[in-house]
Amino acid sequence: MGPLLKRAASLAAALAALTLARQAAAADWELDLDGRLVSVNGPFPIIAGGLGSTRFGGDQSGARLGRARFAVTQNLGELWSLSLDASSWGDRDKIPVGLTEGYLLWRPYPWAGYRLRVKTGAFYAPVSLENRTAGWESPYTLSYSAIDSWIAQEVRTIGTEAQLDWLGTHTGHDFDVGLTGAVFGWNDGAGAALAGGGFTLTDRQSVLWGRVGNPAVPPVRAAEPFRELDGRPGVYGGFEARYLDRLVLRFLHYDNRADPGAVDVVSHTAAWDTTFNSAGMRFDGDHGWTGIFQWLSGSTYISPGGEDERWPFRAHYVLLSKRFGNHTLSARYDWFTVEGYRDEGEDDGWQRGHASTLAYIFQADARWRFTLEWVHVVSTSYNREELGQGDAIGSQTQTQLAVRYAFGTSPQ
Amino acid sequence: MGLMFRTWGAVLTVTVLLPDGRPQPGIVVTAYPTTGPSRPAAPVEAVMDQLNRAFEPDLLVIPVSSEVTFPNSDTVSHQVYSFSPAKRFQLPLYRGKPYPPERFEQPGLVTLGCNIHDEMLAYIFVTDAPFFGRTAADGAWSAEVPNGRYRILIWHPRIRDEDQDLRDEVTVADAGGTLTLHLKKPLRPAPLEGRPHSWDRY
Repeated sequence: MGPLLKRAASLAAALAALTLARQAAAADWELDLDGRLVSVNGPFPIIAGGLGSTRFGGDQSGARLGRARFAVTQNLGELWSLSLDASSWGDRDKIPVGLTEGYLLWRPYPWAGYRLRVKTGAFYAPVSLENRTAGWESPYTLSYSAIDSWIAQEVRTIGTEAQLDWLGTHTGHDFDVGLTGAVFGWNDGAGAALAGGGFTLTDRQSVLWGRVGNPAVPPVRAAEPFRELDGRPGVYGGFEARYLDRLVLRFLHYDNRADPGAVDVVSHTAAWDTTFNSAGMRFDGDHGWTGIFQWLSGSTYISPGGEDERWPFRAHYVLLSKRFGNHTLSARYDWFTVEGYRDEGEDDGWQRGHASTLAYIFQADARWRFTLEWVHVVSTSYNREELGQGDAIGSQTQTQLAVRYAFGTSPQ
Repeated sequence: MGLMFRTWGAVLTVTVLLPDGRPQPGIVVTAYPTTGPSRPAAPVEAVMDQLNRAFEPDLLVIPVSSEVTFPNSDTVSHQVYSFSPAKRFQLPLYRGKPYPPERFEQPGLVTLGCNIHDEMLAYIFVTDAPFFGRTAADGAWSAEVPNGRYRILIWHPRIRDEDQDLRDEVTVADAGGTLTLHLKKPLRPAPLEGRPHSWDRY
């Protein structure tokens, strides 16, 4: 798709969403406005062309737009529904308002203990166990873990996913199990921003056919995760098990099956062959306790002109949260590593780090939410030193106060 | 419920205790005479509402041929379904649109779900027993019944015991009859309370 066409498609989708919400009585819609007061040090974030590790950086302290989001779900008959989720993030993207997700869902009634769901469009792969609320947000923190920040930035399913669940809890058992599989395209750019900029902790979700970074600034420049360069569809397959409403286990194998030798002749961008395994566990206990562990390991690989470059990456985190009525206190610790190899020797691009996140959320009612969050990232980065954006070893601290108001029929 | 208030003279009391000896409220108790004819209790009209993306109540016990309405007090749509053999049905409940009640003709357990909100779960226990009810805070259920011998069955969605451990017999004489059932296994954990239902979108 040409850039003009993409912009027109985004605008058309947003307009269609608004029209649907106004005209159709059965549509559930939501408009969220999220304003922030930010205090941050360190380099600019990747979205602004820097090598920072947080959503904001550089001189971006002060009042900021966290997110303006409009979402609508319209039932189409009894078994189909259309969901559109549009956001603006208040930073410079080539698309000022875009869709983070937009898909058609087919949900036949469960039969004989089985439930099938088929989604077609653009949506998140089932990786995160913290991004469980509307708009793929986390009820625990503002900033997502390193793993889920990367998913938000570069990984989206643009294709079809089927999920088949066996509903044991509806037939007298303690658990449900499910299998997921998907075929997708337009994700040949996934991995470019991770290889160049490393892991970050952000809640900035890339919009469809949006870009990451500033075209004039290396190493990420303007990564475009949602491109199809080689005509080869990607696939993923996963497994999920749930024990009552208390424990969720998830595993996913993702492979965008990009041809690492494919290069776009106009933009000279390469296809990034990205594969990963992700696993996670979430435990919800009595007295408002939640514990989450997620792990991700994979690599991204390009070979333009036969010169191999490979970036293996790994990350994991633990999160502990306690809810006291309308108040939620959460702490998370992230570890992450990106290595860089060119023709088998360790070379550029590596990053290693860890991060602490503390957050307090007060959900005053269904519409008002107040959040105070502190994120501290310590990392070593070859690119940061090489490109004069700071020392190889550095830290970055970001404190945010967020106030969010939700309009609509189905606020959280 | 209907028949319990007829005066028969003798009181049947069934008490359900957990393995640690504590009484368990909320257990469904059904009582069938072992001899003579057994007529189901009179049908009732009951309500299974949807409120804050949950069924209210989470367990309904009704005699066969009863009717249940599903009003949907939420602002969002629901699609109630059951694939239980005792009653298979699908009921799309859109905002502000009333639906006629569903009639439950067969005894058995009907597990309810919502096709839009996967976390919603509730039960309708349809019984052909002439006497039934649920245990109170002291773990006991009582009813006035004619003298005779009764087969007692108990059930609850959180019980893990084998079926053969959930039944017994008791004789009710002029002085009444009492039966205490000891569960061998602890109950399944209760559904978590207080977690916002909007936390299950992904």
